[in-house]
Amino acid sequence: MTPTLETRNLTKIFGGLVAVNRVNLVVPENTIASVIGPNGAGKTTFFNCITGFYTPEHGDILFYGKPVVGFSPDRVAYLGISRTYQNIRLFANMTTIENILVGQHPRLHSTWVDAIIRTPRMKNEEQAALAEANRLLRFVGLAGMGDHLARNLPYGAQRRLEVARALANKPKLLLLDEPTAGMNPHETREMMIFIRNLRDELGITILLIEHDMRVVMGISEQVTVLDYGEKIAEGTPEEIQGNARVIEAYLGRGAASGLGARAQVS
Amino acid sequence: MKIQIRHALTTGIVSAIVLIFLVLIGFHATAADLIGSLLDFRTGAPVFGLTPLMINMLLLFTIIGIWNGARGAKCHEPDSLSKSLVGGLVAGITAGVLFGLLAYIIGLLNEMGVRITLYLASLIPASVRLFLLNLEPVQAGIFYLVFLMITGLIGALFAYSIRSTSSKRSVKDLWGDVTAPVTRQPAYRTAMASRYTKLVFYAILLIIVFLLPLRLGQYWNYTIGTVGIYVLLGLGLNIVVGLAGLLDLGYVAFFAIGAYTAALLTAPQPHNLQWGFWTVVPIGLVLAAFSGILLGIPVLRMRGDYLAIVTLGFGEIIRILSRSDMLASFSGGPRGVTNVAGPTLFGQRFNSPEAFVYLILLSCLLIIFVTNRLKNSRVGRAWIAMREDEVVAQASGINILTHKLLAFAIGAAFAGLGGVLFASRNAFTGPEDFSLMVSINVLALVIVGGMGSIPGVIAGAFVLKGLPEVLRQLDVYRVLFFGGLLVIMMIIRPEGIIPSTRRKLELKEDQEIEPDPAHPESTSVEVADNVVQSDLQGQEK
Repeated sequence: MTPTLETRNLTKIFGGLVAVNRVNLVVPENTIASVIGPNGAGKTTFFNCITGFYTPEHGDILFYGKPVVGFSPDRVAYLGISRTYQNIRLFANMTTIENILVGQHPRLHSTWVDAIIRTPRMKNEEQAALAEANRLLRFVGLAGMGDHLARNLPYGAQRRLEVARALANKPKLLLLDEPTAGMNPHETREMMIFIRNLRDELGITILLIEHDMRVVMGISEQVTVLDYGEKIAEGTPEEIQGNARVIEAYLGRGAASGLGARAQVS
Repeated sequence: MKIQIRHALTTGIVSAIVLIFLVLIGFHATAADLIGSLLDFRTGAPVFGLTPLMINMLLLFTIIGIWNGARGAKCHEPDSLSKSLVGGLVAGITAGVLFGLLAYIIGLLNEMGVRITLYLASLIPASVRLFLLNLEPVQAGIFYLVFLMITGLIGALFAYSIRSTSSKRSVKDLWGDVTAPVTRQPAYRTAMASRYTKLVFYAILLIIVFLLPLRLGQYWNYTIGTVGIYVLLGLGLNIVVGLAGLLDLGYVAFFAIGAYTAALLTAPQPHNLQWGFWTVVPIGLVLAAFSGILLGIPVLRMRGDYLAIVTLGFGEIIRILSRSDMLASFSGGPRGVTNVAGPTLFGQRFNSPEAFVYLILLSCLLIIFVTNRLKNSRVGRAWIAMREDEVVAQASGINILTHKLLAFAIGAAFAGLGGVLFASRNAFTGPEDFSLMVSINVLALVIVGGMGSIPGVIAGAFVLKGLPEVLRQLDVYRVLFFGGLLVIMMIIRPEGIIPSTRRKLELKEDQEIEPDPAHPESTSVEVADNVVQSDLQGQEK
């Protein structure tokens, strides 16, 4: 079976800095995969390459076996890849519902001519889109806040709205950039359950960047570790936890040898 | 309660400033005359010592007084009649005290024999007498105090009755228990109420607008025509700047292209094509739209300041080209093009100022209709999303390229239509009509009116192009007053006179849609809902 996402030798260079260096990654369908790594490891750059914000210098990105390298972000979205952002980026002066409606953009077809004449096709489409948006609104637990401006929502609600907007595109692959950043333990736990539901119920393949190790270890089936743009480890959460190179990348060489030694003893 | 009284006080002071300002520039006399000619009520026997003119003037003050009271009564939760009345009363008394004081001072000065016209050019003795209602200074002061108090109370009642028909969601609803059944007024009732009042309001407005040109003289019709053309320009720029967020300072170029299309195709000089007006309208629209796309292509990657500078250059290029001697044989050069054809209807010439007012009004209605439809569509949402965050908009699947070009093209087309009407009405067009100031004015009216808001653009056009004409009697003070007014306005309402509002789209519980069995996702809704409900309850604690 073709994996949902595959990168081959993906390389992105900024000037002299190699931000992403020959990264190979395979995300099978219907899995929750994580990308972790210290600050500046190139995780977000990696995401930006996949979603078409950056064009990588070398390498391939395959989405269900089809190359998407060099596609503009809107074409990538059209194919069914949605994402959220590390620092929340909503359309601040639009309402919650409108944010979700914008997310549905690639799934709608009415043109400006349809809009002026208000053809039956456009009317039906808009009605269906609105119903769908309301359904999503409830799905992410924002019922009653649909007509509030996005910028007036509380932080947790903004995060959920970002996910709802991403889901409106009916994605096959969802990229979440630090979905639990800034959340308290309780909210984090809810978000974990929510992410798992997305996979279990909607069958969406999920790739996430996360710093909170409890989240990473708790929900992912596959963990990839990046450091200085290179993939240094890959495996199940258990495998990663004991990996000496990973500990080294996070905590430094001395700590790694100490911890590694202890791990061997126990 | 304290906050509310403070709010009412502020409202009263603002209204008093508006009233005092209107009287000082002698507007009450002008308005009384205007209302009189509209209602055909100018002569007649005095009622309770009030001449028809005075009654007309009081009509104006009544409207402002009611507005004052209605504003003073709002802003509190929960709604109660007594609080509304207190708010309206406080606002009324505040405005009344200040305005009454003005009446008293003017009355005193008048008694002392000071010639107020020397200092305030438009406050001629007749206007002063009209304002004082032939009363003693003290009497006039008290009269206005009581007058504003009563109108304030009426306004408060009015505001209360409107608000109590439309149910409001309280803040508590936001994080309240979502599992509890929500009792609320049936949604259709509120929808009916607001829709009905809106319809009546628009109907009245339309009737007034369509009767007005018959009553007004040539001069005012010409002014209203100009305002209308600026409404067209404003609505076009509103799409480019207000919706799509592309700062365009060369917007006048498209206006010029529309005007020159009309001029060169219909005038006997310099090409002697002499086409009809009605054929030229679509050609002007299309040419302007096309030039919008041409300008759009090179500036697609630019944003903000850079875009503004490039478009500024484009506007100047068009103006300078139109007056260059090199192109004089083609475009008429600095002298412009004369004898531009007016419209004809059933073989009749149709170019009196009144006829043009109707034509421009119809065009405005058409453009408002189109803008409104676009704004609330997939395309409109894409534009606004682009304005809010271009990168994210693109990542949400919006094709930035086509949507930017579409915004430029449609905005330009509206300006083109404005240009055709402008050239045709003036029967002349020349390079001096298309200075940078036009672009700046249009941009200013969009900002002053409220970015992205259609009623805002109309209000902005009236304030920026209509008000200077109304203030013309002020002579030398005109620009000073106008500037001061703009500054005050931007302090009071920085987001514009009528800021853009978002449509309410969330379906209420009683409009619940059946889950679609075709979508497998619908099963998961309950699962996630449970998660979220516990989440919400967690937040409440």
